[in-house]
Amino acid sequence: MADDTISVIKLHNVLMVTVPPDPDDETVSALQERVLQTMERYEAKGLVLDISTVETLDSFFARTVVETVQMVALMGGRTVLAGMRPSVAITATQLGLTLGSALTALDVDRALDVLDDRPRLGGDGDDQ
Amino acid sequence: MTNEDAGEVRIDSESDIVAARKIVRDMAIALGFGVTDVTRIVTAASELTRNVFRYAGSGIMRWRTVTAGEVIGLELVFEDHGPGIPDITRAMEVGYTTKGGLGLGLPGAKRLMDELEIESEVGKGTRVTVKKWRK
Amino acid sequence: MATETGRATRARATKATQRLTPDPEVYARLLVDTVSDYAIFTVDTAGLVLTWNRGAERIIGHRPGEIIGRHFSCLYPQERIDAGVPAQELKTAASAGRFEDEGWRLRQDGSRFWANVITTPLHDPLGQLIGFGKVLRDLSQRQQATERFRLIVESAPNAIVMANHEGLMVLVNSQTERLFGYTRDELIGQSVEILVPESVRSVHPNYRASFFADPKTRAMGAGRDLYGVHKNGREIPVEIGLNPLVTEEGSFVIASIIDITERKQAEATIARQAQEILEVSTPVVQVWEGIIAAPLIGTLDSQRTEQFMERLLQRIVETNSPVALVDITGVPTIDTQTGQHLIETVTAVRMLGAQVVLTGVRPALAQTLVHLGIDLSHVITRSSMSAGLRVALDILNLQVVRNNAKR
Repeated sequence: MADDTISVIKLHNVLMVTVPPDPDDETVSALQERVLQTMERYEAKGLVLDISTVETLDSFFARTVVETVQMVALMGGRTVLAGMRPSVAITATQLGLTLGSALTALDVDRALDVLDDRPRLGGDGDDQ
Repeated sequence: MTNEDAGEVRIDSESDIVAARKIVRDMAIALGFGVTDVTRIVTAASELTRNVFRYAGSGIMRWRTVTAGEVIGLELVFEDHGPGIPDITRAMEVGYTTKGGLGLGLPGAKRLMDELEIESEVGKGTRVTVKKWRK
Repeated sequence: MATETGRATRARATKATQRLTPDPEVYARLLVDTVSDYAIFTVDTAGLVLTWNRGAERIIGHRPGEIIGRHFSCLYPQERIDAGVPAQELKTAASAGRFEDEGWRLRQDGSRFWANVITTPLHDPLGQLIGFGKVLRDLSQRQQATERFRLIVESAPNAIVMANHEGLMVLVNSQTERLFGYTRDELIGQSVEILVPESVRSVHPNYRASFFADPKTRAMGAGRDLYGVHKNGREIPVEIGLNPLVTEEGSFVIASIIDITERKQAEATIARQAQEILEVSTPVVQVWEGIIAAPLIGTLDSQRTEQFMERLLQRIVETNSPVALVDITGVPTIDTQTGQHLIETVTAVRMLGAQVVLTGVRPALAQTLVHLGIDLSHVITRSSMSAGLRVALDILNLQVVRNNAKR
């Protein structure tokens, strides 16, 4: 799976990435690269990661997300993880994975709502 | 799939991690595990496969169906001839997880599976055996 | 004197030599004559019997005196004589050098028996055809055994399919016809894969190969759901037992197939009822747009809590509810494991993009939780369900206000 299957969409001043169902490590790393490049180009205020089709979320993926969130934050933006599947949420929790300061939303619509406003809903409570 | 009940796959490159995940997913689904259990098993396999690749460079993952009376389960064995784990007790400590990118995710894998056994000798290699039973 | 003695000595010596170095021809004839397991006889080019060994007498019944000189077709049932079979046999043997046949023959008393006969043309040193040799084996016992086998297979309550090494069906019973909707003729000689669902058809040969590699009586596909496919395309849930059978004709597998449709239906009903019971005891209901409530009642064991966690998350996604009210008023005690599961539930809900409001934490329970070291500081808690509902509405109102402000 090459990184040209990762498409970064720009919606107003928000970036959106739809993550494929079972991305290999190369794709996950490429994702981070593309996001940062696009953030720089458009000075977006936020990033939405649509993970509604992701079936496996392991430590590598989680770590890359945490890094991406930190980098996006350094560039002045916030990140929202949208549409996590229940089985993935349970597994990630039991595996002890954290998502850093990433916010979470039930779906992409709500994710965009979250990025539009200051107060937020959701997240794993890492920084209140 | 070579055989209906058992098999093995080499772990030599990063792309083998995804291959291992796919095989484990197919097996878990075929054995009738529920959605969440399938995710647990695949995620645990992903972690342990990545361990093999990252710390030993290459190794092997074996799988087979196991039975205990009427109960059916899936057993996965991850074997490598890597550096080995010096302090297994420490590696199994809950605090020693994959949080900061360090650690081997062994407590996590143990949490996701029903049984986890580990044999390791420094300089010789490591073998991690995990099992999950279908409830 | 010397000459006489010499002759006598020679005669004595010749006698001794005869005893010491036997004549191979004598032995050959002795073999043919004595062997009783095989009927070995010869006929001339016209088909008249020339020689008749002991085995022929034992198996077929004719004594040499009665049969020598008669045409060998008297050993065949009338319908085969009428069809010209005996003559055809000799003709084929003469041109091909050999002819083997299995079929009915007649004994001297007129009774039929199943035999295997090999006919070989005989030539003189000049290459002239002078007759035919026949070696006949009585297969009655084997035929009876085969008949008995067929009867057992036919009378079995299950569908039985016997397939050869290549996966071609060689024997089925009427239960098989009934179960799969094919007639016997439509199945014999066909690949067993036509009874297997299309989705599995391509890998089934692998299963067959692995069975023949290690043939053991066993149930097929332990732990997996097996299906057969009816002629009309309908998939039938089945259970299959496999038995290896090795005969002189090769390796076979005998599959005993049971239709478990009813059993599966019963299992499904029980599972559904169990689920319904579970849901009744731990209901998750939508109380408002965006709010679901789950009152937990009774003691929570590890398994129940995990099941609850899965259902709660599922409902959150299904109803798209950002707030889940979990009320534990009805939970008398909590142990460490269940406490951990509760925390996991709260964390997992957060990952989905929703939030748990925990209500009904009574003083006694609060004490237990603190003593167990369970950290609920990140969870919104209220003492009553109604207080929790108020918080939930506040959270949602913020959302509504925000969304309105956007317009």
